[in-house]
Amino acid sequence: MTTAGLHRPAPGSFPETAATRRRRAAAGWRRTRLYLVSRRVPTALVLLAGLGALLWAALRWRWNIAGGAAARQFIPLTVEAGAAALIAVTTYGPFGEPERAAGRWLPVLRLAAAVALTGIAFGLLAAGAAAAHISAAGAAPAGLPGGTLLRNLGGMAGVGLLSAVALGGAFGWAGPMAYLVVTEAALAHGSVTPWVWPTRPPYDRGAAVCAGLVITAGLVLITVRGPREPGGDPGPA
Amino acid sequence: MTAATSAPARPRAPRVTRALPLGAWRLLRVELRRNAMPWMLPLVAALFWFDSYRPSTQTEPLYVVRTFWNMGQGHTIVDFAPFGAAVAAWMGSRDGRRGLADLVTTAARPRWVAQLATWAATAIWAVAAYLLFVGLMFAMYARQGVTGTPPWWWVAVGAAAVTALTAAGFAVGAFWPSRFAAPAAAFGAILVLLMSSQTGFHHGDGWAMILPTNSNGSFQNDSGISYPWLPDLPIARIMFLAGITAAVLGLTGLPARAGGPGLRRAAAAVVAAGLALAGTGVGLVSTARLTAEGMAIPALHDAADDAPIAYTPACGRAAGVPVCLNPAYGRWLPAITGALAPVLAEVAGLPGAPARAAQAATTYTGSSIEGGPPALSDGGPPQAAALAGQPPVLRLYLGMLNMPGPCGFCDGPVGGTQFAGQLRLLFAHAFVGAGSSPGSPVQQVVQATLLRGAGIPFAAQPRLMGSTDNFPSPSSKSALGPVFAAAGRLAALPAAARHAWLAAHLAALRAGRLTLRDLP
Repeated sequence: MTTAGLHRPAPGSFPETAATRRRRAAAGWRRTRLYLVSRRVPTALVLLAGLGALLWAALRWRWNIAGGAAARQFIPLTVEAGAAALIAVTTYGPFGEPERAAGRWLPVLRLAAAVALTGIAFGLLAAGAAAAHISAAGAAPAGLPGGTLLRNLGGMAGVGLLSAVALGGAFGWAGPMAYLVVTEAALAHGSVTPWVWPTRPPYDRGAAVCAGLVITAGLVLITVRGPREPGGDPGPA
Repeated sequence: MTAATSAPARPRAPRVTRALPLGAWRLLRVELRRNAMPWMLPLVAALFWFDSYRPSTQTEPLYVVRTFWNMGQGHTIVDFAPFGAAVAAWMGSRDGRRGLADLVTTAARPRWVAQLATWAATAIWAVAAYLLFVGLMFAMYARQGVTGTPPWWWVAVGAAAVTALTAAGFAVGAFWPSRFAAPAAAFGAILVLLMSSQTGFHHGDGWAMILPTNSNGSFQNDSGISYPWLPDLPIARIMFLAGITAAVLGLTGLPARAGGPGLRRAAAAVVAAGLALAGTGVGLVSTARLTAEGMAIPALHDAADDAPIAYTPACGRAAGVPVCLNPAYGRWLPAITGALAPVLAEVAGLPGAPARAAQAATTYTGSSIEGGPPALSDGGPPQAAALAGQPPVLRLYLGMLNMPGPCGFCDGPVGGTQFAGQLRLLFAHAFVGAGSSPGSPVQQVVQATLLRGAGIPFAAQPRLMGSTDNFPSPSSKSALGPVFAAAGRLAALPAAARHAWLAAHLAALRAGRLTLRDLP
């Protein structure tokens, strides 16, 4: 017995031609595009770009008011929480059961969209912070190191994804906003638990681990379970 | 057939039996039942506990101190309003998101009226929950024995702020029926409130006093203890917030689909009235001035609010001298009599020694405003102890001090020994007549000697002066130099000789006429 025969197509099946592959790629692209449109990802991208511009303006013209840590960080943190809220809300889907029943690629699309949007949000906010530093000829504070931004944004996006799993995609914004209030209170009172990672200094290992755990948990749960849907358990996607 | 039945039917005017027609009540009831706000309340409750209640329990059990963070700096509003605004945006965008806008436009009831019912249901949930949570917090305070009067006017400001932000959020949702309306409303509300907090820290007068989270001129000292909370600023803020509420709700009635021309004209009038009300509020706070009892607005001020709160004092004795306090401070009476007893014993029998000690109302000085001199002081920092009257009475302005126990705005709890040392220092400083200045060298010598006699060694005194709020410390950071050398010599005298010297020279000492050479 040899394996030569395995290269032959099974009796009755059609060989995969270039045209078939093209059709599959087109179907995949169409599926992805429809998924993104149904989740209002284009609108989210526009709003994320707006948040990047807001961060640029806030750092460029020093909107931050002098004071303690809560005062110094509140605009960057609010922008990061806003971006995380947008990412969480994009998990909301209008189709419910029919989509879950028919779409076997849904978990992959949810994971890919969440990761891509978090990456894009990081890029836009980092660009806003860097542009402010450059356009002020270094006069604007470079107070938003990339590592800190990634940690804070990533962790908050994780909080948003978790709240989408718990509350539903439409209310996924509640997690990051609540986390922002908690963070501001912790900064005002000098609390430094790593679970409130923005209170920790840049490159703090404990804070990075906690933020990493939260984004990982958020991605896993949003991939496997999807956002909670009104009227009952979402069930497996 | 009777005449009655053959009489022509006469249309009867409908009797008005309720303020709102039955249909409107039913609509409101349906909206209340199907509102998303109750689902958000557990999260808000957790935030309220974490951000508003928990930090306040680490402070002195006086309402003015307990509520400084959560009511004065508006954290109860920060915990509530963004979520209220976001849910209102979600509810306001409902018809648009579901593609029902055309359908509801053709319904019997005008669209604006239906929208107002949706907003009202959201606002009722949010404000009712706000009042419930604040009420529970105050009940907990009462159970913990917190004294003073709760700042009820500021509770009303909070409720007005929650209402205004739900209205603003609702307008966002009504004009932008998107799933992103809710996070955008929450983001906007939180940005506005935190900006308001940060701006409020630095502005003690002018337009910024309208900001609902600006605590300047409102939460100092003995408000609600010795004198009532002034309602002027809260009334102006409520006017402003009510104006904002009316204006943004009126805006939702302006589009063509909102209703007929009459209704839209009414909506335009509501917008104009709201803007006028908000503008009046801003104008009124611009005329606010800091008085001894807080921010007063001449056009709103009622002289009856200046009357002190009557009370039966809580009294004790220190070295035979009666010491009377406001009952709100009664829990600290043993600590105060214990602290004053050694220094009062030292000066007993001297012609200028106090015949009694009594708490006096601490007035507003504006000293909490960063970057500016105290607005009402006479130059130097106000002192928490002063001698006045004939026979002399020791007046204690305890509102200026951090009392023993938990202290939320210090580095840590205030210990009994630390407090006693501060009170003895303040008494000795007042006794030598140094006022708001560090005092003449001889006054400093006598102050140091009195403190040493009360059990505070010279070496510990510079540190004690540095740690006492508002104390006009001399430049020396150590117990060295001619002042402490002279104090050592004075302290080495027998008590009777020291007493006799003080009796002979007290008037000259207080007048600042003595030099170090005049000391024995």
